[in-house]
Amino acid sequence: MIVGERKKFEEIQELVKDYKSLLVLGCGTCVSVCMAGGEKEVELLATQLRMATQLKNGNVNIEEVTIQRQCDREYIEPVLEKARGFDAVLSLACGAGVQLVADMLDTQPVIPGLNTRFIGVAEAEGIWSERCRACGNCLLADYAGICPIARCPKGLVNGQCGGQRDGKCETSSERDCAWALIYERLSKQGLLDKMKEMAPLKDYSVQLHPARQVNEAYLKGEVEAVHQK
Amino acid sequence: MRAKKRVKQAKILLQEIGLESDRVEMYNLGASDAPMFASACNEMTQRARDLGPNPLRKEKA
Repeated sequence: MIVGERKKFEEIQELVKDYKSLLVLGCGTCVSVCMAGGEKEVELLATQLRMATQLKNGNVNIEEVTIQRQCDREYIEPVLEKARGFDAVLSLACGAGVQLVADMLDTQPVIPGLNTRFIGVAEAEGIWSERCRACGNCLLADYAGICPIARCPKGLVNGQCGGQRDGKCETSSERDCAWALIYERLSKQGLLDKMKEMAPLKDYSVQLHPARQVNEAYLKGEVEAVHQK
Repeated sequence: MRAKKRVKQAKILLQEIGLESDRVEMYNLGASDAPMFASACNEMTQRARDLGPNPLRKEKA
């Protein structure tokens, strides 16, 4: 999932201070799972903003709504009309969701309420950690399902550096050395010989940004016509 | 204890919006700790008096 964290309350207050009506828009997918921008967090933030406004004797109309996903047009469309009734939208989605809502509203400001952190997993309750850099050239088959690009701070693809101590990374005693993990798992799988293989230079050319993915089987209407030209 | 963490979080939320975090507190008491209970009640009553009415409620009145 995409992991995000809520911006500091003061920063959010500063970003929305000029608006007299605000729609706090939550996203019910990734950021909901990582407890940063789902229904519950939207309710909490909207309540905080209302209370803070009231304490300053301000008069701002703050409403809230959470949709299933902010990265899909079909989920945004049903709330577009409602959103147009506000001075601005405070989106608690990841950066992708904020941008799609901004594209669809176009003339209205859309303010991000989260900082998007990484693609990761829930390590334990309340802890998420990065697992994927979306590099566009997945090498997990060679590394026992442990990504050295995302989990080694140096992104080393041919074995560990000299900084590993007792299975921990030199950058933090709390961070596991990705290569120690790879070694252990390859060992368990009886595939340690893989450690002897030299990985070729990683193809970073597929990592050009902004990336775009097209699946022609699903194209429809005008979009399909453009792609067939 | 989950309640302890939640009270800590509630204090942060209150502070963020500009209300005193002392308005909420958690005490650990045994069922038979009557003197401790009375002391906690007195402490919170005194705190409420010192802090004054909740400004959000005052506005509503």
